[in-house]
Amino acid sequence: MTKKFQIKSAIIIPPYLVGDVQSKLGYIDEAILQGKVAPAGDVIDLTLTSSPDDNLKSRIEEKVQRMVASMVEGSFKPKIQVLEDCMTRPVPYTKDPNPELMARGEMSKEDVGIYSLGPLMSRLIDYFESKFLLLADSFGARPYRFPTLLPAKLLGRINYFRAFPHSLSFVTHLREDLDIIDNFAHTASCDDHGLNAPLDSFAPIPALLSPAVCYHLYFSLADKPLPDGKLAATAVGHCYRYESTNLISLERLWNFSLREVIFVGSKDFVVESREAARERMKGVFEEFGMAYRVESATDPFFVGEFRKQAAFQSAFQLKFEIRARLPFKESTLAVGSYNYHQDFFGRNLNISLPDGSPAHTACVGFGLERMAYAFLAQFGFDQKDWPEAVRNALGG
Amino acid sequence: MNLINKRNVKIRVLELVSEALQIPISQVSEGLSLGDIPQWDSMGHMGIMLLLEERFNVEIDTSILNTLTSIPSICAFLEKMEQI
Repeated sequence: MTKKFQIKSAIIIPPYLVGDVQSKLGYIDEAILQGKVAPAGDVIDLTLTSSPDDNLKSRIEEKVQRMVASMVEGSFKPKIQVLEDCMTRPVPYTKDPNPELMARGEMSKEDVGIYSLGPLMSRLIDYFESKFLLLADSFGARPYRFPTLLPAKLLGRINYFRAFPHSLSFVTHLREDLDIIDNFAHTASCDDHGLNAPLDSFAPIPALLSPAVCYHLYFSLADKPLPDGKLAATAVGHCYRYESTNLISLERLWNFSLREVIFVGSKDFVVESREAARERMKGVFEEFGMAYRVESATDPFFVGEFRKQAAFQSAFQLKFEIRARLPFKESTLAVGSYNYHQDFFGRNLNISLPDGSPAHTACVGFGLERMAYAFLAQFGFDQKDWPEAVRNALGG
Repeated sequence: MNLINKRNVKIRVLELVSEALQIPISQVSEGLSLGDIPQWDSMGHMGIMLLLEERFNVEIDTSILNTLTSIPSICAFLEKMEQI
């Protein structure tokens, strides 16, 4: 019996939504291992964990059609704007870097979406970090350090549960009860699916793992006037976004590191700072020698919010991604982004400017693992082939 | 477009915004803009745009979503569409 299941979509999925719909298939049912939307947008091919009976088929098909309808009906075609295009910049490496990364112990898989990195990857990340810190310094950005845990009540204030429920990572602990803790200590065991323990052993969820670095800054500024009316800040941190069947090597991690430069203040201040950051990074990427482009993008909102939020982001040019070329698969990978949130955080968190109006915010973020991964995918492991600036910095 | 039709368009837009944002029409002033009230946020804005497409049978391209950000600009857009 085959584990494949093909669904004919009741609505044709337009080309601009094929990737977005495909990225949501893993969240439809736990029985789905992999899903693919045909380029024509009319057929969805699923690989399931077991041979499906009629019940399972009918359940999955209903959910797939519902999700497609929610994302496609009344959707707005995004306006793609390319701000920089250096995709034809020549790069020497065309092989898949993954086998080499594994063989050299530079990438060690602990579980799906969870990887440890070796010395070369770490040194490359340190090098890129030093450049991002120079960018932060050029704005006089103040350094901050933030925790990995984010209180649930704070995330609730910015509607995160509605916009990105699928990617949340929850944190809890055992309930403060001697019997429960004793019982857990003696009976807890793990299998391929994770930890086995009675669900009622756990306390209500007080916190989540941070999905972004900048939220912590906004929360620290909440419910008071912004001192001096503007702020530039920088921080690095671990971020967590559960991406289901989309978790793949270092390209899409559950646990990744993000360096952010964050701006809070008037609309003019944050918009101009975001643009200045992009201009300054042009020279830095030239130094890295990387092939990339900067283009408009949208966040991966969940199904119910997707259609409206993605269209709004696109129309108001709120997000631009730095997409590095991955020659081995003739594809691109987002290694950073320039984001403007308008006064969303200012309004929802009550961060006010001296005139009493809500503060605007913007952030520039760089995915550190992805930067190093994309660099090796373009330049390989022989330092003789690397751009001079990177080779000199790493002492090769 | 004559004055009576212009007046009709404005009334229909005020009613549409009230419906999309789920607020009483008394709270929809003739100069209301995106961000003026908490209900007219990004989601509220897109709700208005979707209802506009449905009720006025017009297609709103992503490239103009960011220009239809107030009652006057929506009215002006619809008046222009009437003339085409």
